[in-house]
Amino acid sequence: MERFKLSLAGREKISYMIILIICLVLLFGLIKLQIVEHRDLAIQSENNRIRVVPIIPRRGLVTDREDRIIIDNRPSYTLSVVPAEEARGTTLPNLAELLNLDTLEIRNRIKKNLVSRYQPSTVKRDIPFEVVAILEEQSKRFPGVTYHMEQVRQYRPELGVEVVTGYVGEVSEEELKRPGSQGYRLGSLTGKKGLEKQYDKLLRGREGTAYIEVTASGQILGEYQERRPVPATPGTNLTLTIDNDLQLACTQALDTFCCGAVVAIDPRNGEILAMTSYPTYDANMFSSVIPESTWQEISSDTTHPLLNRPIKGLYPPGSTVKFVAVGAALEEGMISPNATLKPCPGGMQFGNRFFRCWQPSGHGTLAAAGSLEQSCDVFLYQVGLKLGVDLLSEYYDRCGFGHRTEVDLPNEDPGLNPNSGWYDNHYGVNKWTSALVLNNAIGQGELLATPLQLTLFFCGLANGGVVYQPHIVKKITHAFGGELEVTPRIAFTLPFSPPTMEVLREGLRLVVEGEHGTARRLRNDLYSVGGKTGTAQNPHGEDHSWFVGVAPLEDPEIVVCAIVENAGHGSDVAAPLVGQIIRTYMEKKLHLEPITMTGEASRP
Amino acid sequence: MTLNYGLLDWKLVGAALALSLIGILLIMSAQYYADSTFQQNYYLRQLLWLGIALAVFALVVHLPLRLFDFTAPLLYSVSILLLILVLFLGTARMGALRWFSFGPVNFAPSDFAKVALIIVLARFFAYTKLSVMSTRRLGISGLLTLIPVALILKQPDLGTSLVFFVILFTLWFWSGLSPLYMLLIVSPLISLVAASHWLAWSIYIAVLIVFLLLFRPGFVFSFLTVVANLAFGIITPFMWGRLADYQRLRILTFLNPGLDPRGAGYQIIQSKIAIGSGGILGKGFLSGSQTRLDFVPEPHTDFIFSVLGEEFGLWGSLLVVLLFAFIFFRIVRIAVRCRSKFASLLVMGAGSIFVFQFLVNTGMTLGFMPVTGLPLPFVSYGGTSLVLSWTLIGFIVAADYRWQEY
Repeated sequence: MERFKLSLAGREKISYMIILIICLVLLFGLIKLQIVEHRDLAIQSENNRIRVVPIIPRRGLVTDREDRIIIDNRPSYTLSVVPAEEARGTTLPNLAELLNLDTLEIRNRIKKNLVSRYQPSTVKRDIPFEVVAILEEQSKRFPGVTYHMEQVRQYRPELGVEVVTGYVGEVSEEELKRPGSQGYRLGSLTGKKGLEKQYDKLLRGREGTAYIEVTASGQILGEYQERRPVPATPGTNLTLTIDNDLQLACTQALDTFCCGAVVAIDPRNGEILAMTSYPTYDANMFSSVIPESTWQEISSDTTHPLLNRPIKGLYPPGSTVKFVAVGAALEEGMISPNATLKPCPGGMQFGNRFFRCWQPSGHGTLAAAGSLEQSCDVFLYQVGLKLGVDLLSEYYDRCGFGHRTEVDLPNEDPGLNPNSGWYDNHYGVNKWTSALVLNNAIGQGELLATPLQLTLFFCGLANGGVVYQPHIVKKITHAFGGELEVTPRIAFTLPFSPPTMEVLREGLRLVVEGEHGTARRLRNDLYSVGGKTGTAQNPHGEDHSWFVGVAPLEDPEIVVCAIVENAGHGSDVAAPLVGQIIRTYMEKKLHLEPITMTGEASRP
Repeated sequence: MTLNYGLLDWKLVGAALALSLIGILLIMSAQYYADSTFQQNYYLRQLLWLGIALAVFALVVHLPLRLFDFTAPLLYSVSILLLILVLFLGTARMGALRWFSFGPVNFAPSDFAKVALIIVLARFFAYTKLSVMSTRRLGISGLLTLIPVALILKQPDLGTSLVFFVILFTLWFWSGLSPLYMLLIVSPLISLVAASHWLAWSIYIAVLIVFLLLFRPGFVFSFLTVVANLAFGIITPFMWGRLADYQRLRILTFLNPGLDPRGAGYQIIQSKIAIGSGGILGKGFLSGSQTRLDFVPEPHTDFIFSVLGEEFGLWGSLLVVLLFAFIFFRIVRIAVRCRSKFASLLVMGAGSIFVFQFLVNTGMTLGFMPVTGLPLPFVSYGGTSLVLSWTLIGFIVAADYRWQEY
C-alpha cells in the first residue's frame, strides 16, 4: 500500500510538471492562432465588421414629348423586420393587425427577402404615414420592426398610359435565375411590364456600394473609413413620344364605353403620340405588395384591365383593311382604277352560301375608290376571289399584318395572317374552300390584327407608302449629361406603286369627304380628314367598332386608330371618337383654343 | 501584530498586482465604446474593488493562520448555510440563483465556499490520523466536498462545482495520495463516456481490470471500482435514451460547443478570431474591433483574454501567461517550504483554484475548453472574484512569511 504514497519531492516535481504542461499547451494554442492562422482569422475579423450595402440609385424619370412628367419618384416608407430582434408571439400578430395582413403572409415575406437574421427584411413598401406614426408611438408593441425611406414610382393614373409605362415590382426568383440578371438581388425592384420592363437596364441605373461598420448584433456604427464607397449611377431619364394632352384626350374619349383602345402615331416619323387601353389599372397599386384579394379581383375582371389592347389585343380588323385587297388587285392589274365590277344588290351568292353586304339595299355599281368610300362588301368579295387566299395573304403580310411591329415595348403579339399553309394545318388539306378568301378580303374570318398594326398600315397610306418604325422613346438623357435622340427609321414600305397609292388615298378622302362616305360626320371647315370605318363581327357578342383617321389629309401628321369593343358600327361610335381626338390635336396645333385639358405645369 | 514587511514575498504580490492592473486596462478597453457610461466605467469600479481586495489582503496577512485553522468548522458551516440561503433569497440572473444582491454589490457565496472548503479540508488532512488511502479518509473528505457541490449544482453552476472537485483532488494529491489512485476514483466517469459504444466500453473495462491486477490497490477498493464502472457503463445508455432531446443537446453542446454555432460555439469562434487577428503585435490598445463591436461576448469578464490577445497580440498574451506561471511556481515552492501541514495544504488549495481557473478560462478563449463561465483570476471584471483572489494571495503570503511555524 505504501507505494501509493508519494514523497514531498515527488509531489513537487509532479506539480511543476503540470504547471509547465499547462503553460506549454497555452503557448501552443497562442502560436497556432496568432501566427499560423493569423492571416485567415484577420480576414474573418475584417469581414465580421464590414457589411456591404447597396446604394440604390434614383430610377430614371419618364416625361412626355414636352417634358411633362409621366413617371415620377416619390419618397415613401418601407417597413422591415429584423428577425433576430423580433419577439415571438408579439411582433407578428401586432404587425398583422396593423397592416391588415396575415401573420403567415408576413412570415413568408420576411423569409423571401431574408439576407441575414440581423438585417432588416422588407415586409411592405409604401406604408401610409399613419402606420409610421403608430409604429413610432407604440414601438414597444413592435419589437424588431423598422422602417426606412425609399423612393417609389409615382405614376399618373389619370393619363391612362399604363400600356406604355407598365410598372415595377420586386424581382421574382425565376427572373433571378434567368441569364442577364446580374445586378439584381432578392428584393430589387425591376420593371414588370411596359417600358419599365423594356428599358429597365437604363432606368434603374447602377447600384453603388457602401461599406459600413456593424456590431455583432447588426447595429450600424457608420461608414467604414478604410474603403471608399462606390457611388451609385442614377437611372437614365426617358423622354417619350407621348403627348400628355392627346393621351388624356384619348383616355377621356374612351371613358364612356366599356372597353377599347386608341393608338395615335405621327406617320412622318413613327412617333407614338398616344396609346391607351380601356379599362386599365392603377400602376401605383404595385408599388406596395397588393393583397391577394385585389389581385384576384383584377385578374378575374371580364373587362381585362391588365390586357394591353394596343399591342396584345387581337381583333378582326373588319372593313378598315379593305385597302389591302383593293390595293393588291390594282397592283396585280386585276382591276383598273376606274373600271367597275359587278353591281352590289346587297349580297353575293358563292357556292351554296349567300354572302351579304353590310348594306342590305346594295351599293349598285362601284369603282375602286368608291368601294372604299361606301365600304362595299360585294366589291371586295369579287376582288378577293380574283386574288385568292395566298396572294391576298402575301399582301397582308407586306402591309405589316401577321408579324410584330417591333415597337419598343415588351410582349407584343404578332396577330394572325392565315394563308393556305395555315389553313391546311388548321382545318386539314382540302378540308377548306376558297370561300374563306371572301371573309379575309373584308377583314373578317381568321385574320387578326392588333390596333398598333392597323395604325401602322394607315401611317403607310398617309405617308406615301413609307412606314416608319413605331417607337415610344424619343430621347434618352443620361444622368451625367449626354443625350441620345432616337432618329426615325423606315420599317417597311407598302407594296403599292404611286398610281395605286393615289386611288387608295382617294378612297381615304372619300370616306369622310365623299357624298356617300361612311364617316361624313367628321367633315369640317378647318382641316381635312381621311379615314376608314370598320365594323368587325365577332363571335362573342356585339360588333366591334373601328375607325382609323388621318389628318390633315394633304400632308398627314397624325393617324388615330380606335376600337370600341362590342359597340356596333364604326361610323356610329369609333368615328366620332377619333374625330374628337383629331380635333384635340389640331386645335392644339392651330392654337384654335387655349388648351386647358390637362392643366399642368411643365417641368423646368 | 507587527510584521517585518521586508520579508513578505513582494515578487508574488507584484505579479498579482501587475495582473490586476492589466485587467483594469483590458476592462477599460473592452467597454470603451459601450452604450452606457455605466458600462464604460466598469474599469473604475474594478479599480475600487482592487482597493478593497488589497485591504482584505493586508488584513489576511496580518492575521495568524491559526485563526483560520481553529475556525475552519465554523467557516465551513457558514458557507453551507449561505449556499442554502442563496437558493431562496438570491437574485436570479441569467437563469441561475448565484448571487446575493446588496444594492450595487453582488456577492456569490460560492466564492466564499471555495475558501471555506480549502480551509476545512486542509484542517482535516493536517490532523487526521487516518491513513492516506483509507476509505474513511477519502469518504469524509469527499462528503465535505459533495455538500457544497450539490448545492451549487442546484443553482445551477457546473463550472464552479468543478472547482470544488479540483480543490479536493489537489489536496488529496498534496496529502500524499498517488495520482494513479485518483485516476481509479474518477474511472467511473471514463466508463460513462466510453459507454457510448459497446466495443469501446468492453475494451475499457478489460484495460481497467488488467490495471487493477497489476497494481493491486487493495481488494475492497478494486472491487468497488469495478462495480462502479460496470454500473455507470450499463446504466448510461438507458438514461441517455430517457433524456429529452433538449437535455441531450445541452450535454452534447457542453462536450462539443461546435454543435451549436450560434450559441456557445459562436462565442468560441469569435474569441478565436479575436485572438488570432491580433497576430504577434496586436491591434493596439482600444483598437480591437472584435471586442469593440460585441462579436466577443462578455469581453470584460469571461472573455477578457480575447481582448488581451486581440489588442496586445502574442507578446501581451505571453506576458500574462508568464506572470501566471511565475505565480504558480512560486506557490508550489511556498507549499513545499511550509513546515505547517495546514499552511502547506492551504497554499496548494489556493494555488489549485488559480491554476484551474486560468487553464479553463484561457483554454476556453483559445477554443480547446468548453464554455464554463469561470473568470480569469485577477484579470476578469468582478468584485468578489478579485477579493477572493487577493484573499488567497493573502493566505499564501502569510504562510510564506511564517513558513517556519509548525
